[in-house]
Amino acid sequence: MKKLTFDYYMQIDYSEVVSSCHFTIKCLPKETLRQRVGKVTIKLSPDVSYNAGTDSFGNGQIYGWDDVDHTTFSFRITGDVCAGLDRREEKIDEDMLAVFRHPHGLNRAEEALSAYYEKLAGSLPADAYEKALFLSHSLHEDFVYEKGCTDVGTTAEEAWKLGHGVCQDYAHILIALLHMEKIPARYVTGMIPGEGASHAWVEIAKDGFWYGIDPTNDIPVGDNYIKIGEGRDAADCLINRGIMHGGGNQEQIVRVSVVEVSDGITDVG
Amino acid sequence: MEERIQRLDLLQHTDTVNELLARYGVKFGIYKNNVFKEQLFPFDAIPRIIEHEEFLFLERGLKQRVMALNLFIKDIYSKKQIVKDGIVPEDFIFASSGYMAECENALPPKGIYCHISGIDLVKGKDGNWYILEDNLRVPSGASYPMIARELCRRSSPDTFHDNHLEDNRNYADLLRRTMDYVNTGGHTVILTPGRYNAAYFEHSYLAEKTGAHLVNGSELRVKNDRLYYVSMDGSLEPVGAVYRRISDDYLDPMNFRADSLIGIPHIYDVFRKGNVALLNAPGNGVADDKGIYYFVPKMIRYYLDEEPILSNAPTYLPFYEEDMQYVLEHFDDLVLKDVAEAGGYGVAFGNTMTKDRKEEFIALLKKEPRRFIAQEVIDFQDLDIVEAGSVIPRKADLRAFVLMAEEPLVWKSGLTRFSRNPDSFIVNSSQGGGFKDTWVLSQ
Repeated sequence: MKKLTFDYYMQIDYSEVVSSCHFTIKCLPKETLRQRVGKVTIKLSPDVSYNAGTDSFGNGQIYGWDDVDHTTFSFRITGDVCAGLDRREEKIDEDMLAVFRHPHGLNRAEEALSAYYEKLAGSLPADAYEKALFLSHSLHEDFVYEKGCTDVGTTAEEAWKLGHGVCQDYAHILIALLHMEKIPARYVTGMIPGEGASHAWVEIAKDGFWYGIDPTNDIPVGDNYIKIGEGRDAADCLINRGIMHGGGNQEQIVRVSVVEVSDGITDVG
Repeated sequence: MEERIQRLDLLQHTDTVNELLARYGVKFGIYKNNVFKEQLFPFDAIPRIIEHEEFLFLERGLKQRVMALNLFIKDIYSKKQIVKDGIVPEDFIFASSGYMAECENALPPKGIYCHISGIDLVKGKDGNWYILEDNLRVPSGASYPMIARELCRRSSPDTFHDNHLEDNRNYADLLRRTMDYVNTGGHTVILTPGRYNAAYFEHSYLAEKTGAHLVNGSELRVKNDRLYYVSMDGSLEPVGAVYRRISDDYLDPMNFRADSLIGIPHIYDVFRKGNVALLNAPGNGVADDKGIYYFVPKMIRYYLDEEPILSNAPTYLPFYEEDMQYVLEHFDDLVLKDVAEAGGYGVAFGNTMTKDRKEEFIALLKKEPRRFIAQEVIDFQDLDIVEAGSVIPRKADLRAFVLMAEEPLVWKSGLTRFSRNPDSFIVNSSQGGGFKDTWVLSQ
C-alpha cells in the first residue's frame, strides 16, 4: 500500500482570442478496490462554473461552457490516493462485460495483427490472466517504445504495422490480441510516477474481477498506479475534450506528477 | 374496387393537387455530385385503400412489434437479459454499428426509446402483409400524406363526402400527445439541421401543425444541466422535449462526432441526467439493423410472451450453420443484403449474378457470415397509378407510423411509396419514386 499525491496540469495556449468554449474533463481518479481516493481539488482558468456527472462507463467527468474571452485555457486537478489496497481492481459488472469482449474503434485488429496472434496462439497458457501476461511479454519483445510516431487516432493495427508507439498503442494492441481469445479487456487511463504525462494500461476480466496489466512496462498494475477511468479504447477515455469559437493555432502542455508521501508526513488524505 | 376508383372525382384533380404541392414547397432535397437539388415528390391521386378490418389487424401487429422493439432497446442498454439468455447472439449487438456504448445506463424519460417509428410493409400476392424493415431512428414521411389529404379535400370535397374513411389529419395531435407525455418541463421544440435537409418541408410542417417551435442547433443552449431555447431578446426559456430530426452522430459534438456543427454541445449530458426528452432516444440503431430484423419475432415471444401477429419476410442468417446450408442450396432464389448498408445499397439478387460474381460472393459470405442476411424474394402486389392518362401497375410499399405515448398509437393512414420504374422493386423516394395517400376505411 502506498500513499500518493498527484497533480495533473493541462494548458492550451491560443494564438487568437477564444470567445467561447465547451469542455469536458475526465480526470478524476476512480474509487476502486485497489485504490481509495482522498481529497481532490479542481481549478479551472478562466474560473468558470461547471457541472459534474458520470459517463456511461461510470467515469467521473466535469463539463461546462466558458464564454469569457481568453487566450489560455487550463485546468489543474490535485489530490491524494491510497493505492495497492488489493490486487483486484474492481468487481465485474455483469451487465457491461460483453461490451468489452468485442473489437471496437481503435482496438481493432486486421491482417497484420491477426497474423501475429496466429503465431502466438499455439503457445498461450490456459488461464485468462496468464494469457494476458504472456501476450504482454511478447509485445514487450516485439514492439518498441517510441514517442512521436503515433497519435491519438492511431489504431492497434496501424501501430503494430509501424512497430513503434507509446502506452496507448501497447494497450490497444494487447486489447486486440485478448479479444481474439474472446477475453474481455478494457482500456484504462491513469497516472504513474516519473511519466510526466498520463499513462494507459489494460484490465482483464477473470473470476468476477478486473485485474490491471501494464503492457508498456510489462508488469501487473502495482501500488504506485493511480487509475482515472476506463472504456473500450482511448477515444472513450479522452482526458479533455473541447470545442471553441476562435483561437487560431493552439499549443497544448500537459504536466503530470505522482509522488509517494512518506509515512512521516501526516497531512495526507 | 376498380370501379369505385375509376369513378373518383379526385382523379380529375391530380394536376391541381401536384401544382398546389409544388407551391407549398412539398419537396425533398438530395445531394447529387455535391450539388443540392430539390425535387418534387410526385403525387398519384389513386389512393391505397385499406379495409377497416384489415387495418385493425395491422394495428394490432404494429403495436405489438413496436412494444417489443422498445423493450429490446431498453434491455440492451441495461441488463442485456435477451443476450444472456442466448436469444440474440452477442455478435449481433456489440459488433453492430448501431450499438452505442454511450447509451449504457442512460434511461430516457418514461423508459421510451421509440417515440416515432416508421415500419415498412408490403402486401404480397398471397394477400399477406410482410414487414420489410423497422425505422426507429429518424423516420420521415408522415407530412406527405397529411398535406396531400388536405389538398385533396380542398380540390374534391365530394370524394370525401362519398367515401367513409378515417381522417388522417390527426397525426399532429398524436405527435403532440407523444411529445407532451415525455416532456420534462418546458417548451417542446422540433430540431432541424436546416433548410438544406432532405426533409425540411416536413420539419416545418410538423412544427406548424403541432405548435412546437422549429429551431436549429444554435438556438438551443445547455446551462447548469438544463436545456434552454434562446429567445429573440436573448433570454433563456427551458426546453423539456426535443423532437430532433438530426441523427445521433450529429446531436452533440461533445459526446458524439466532434465535427458536428448542427448539434448542441452537452445536450446528451442533460439527457443523461433525465432533464430533457429526446425523440427518438439516441442508440435506437441497435434495433433496426438488418441483422437484428431477423430476431424481432423472437423478441416478441421473449418480451411479450405472444406469437407475432405480423410476419417478417422469410429471412436466413448465414451466421447459423443450418441457415448457411439453406442459403447455399437456394442461392438463386434469394436476395442477399449487407447488414451495414442502407437505402437500397448492398442488395444483390442471387439469380442475377454472373458465375464469377457468384463464386466471389459465396467466398465472402463464408468468410464474413455475420455481415449478410438472405431473404426469400416476396412477390408483392402492384398498385395502380396514372401515368400519361392511362392506368398502369407499379410496385409499392407502405410506411406505417407508430407513436409511443402512454400506450402505442397507430396512425390510421401512412405513406404509400411507389416505384416509377416498372422493373424496380426499390421504392425509396431518393431514387425518384412517387407517393400516394393511404385511406383507411372507417367501417
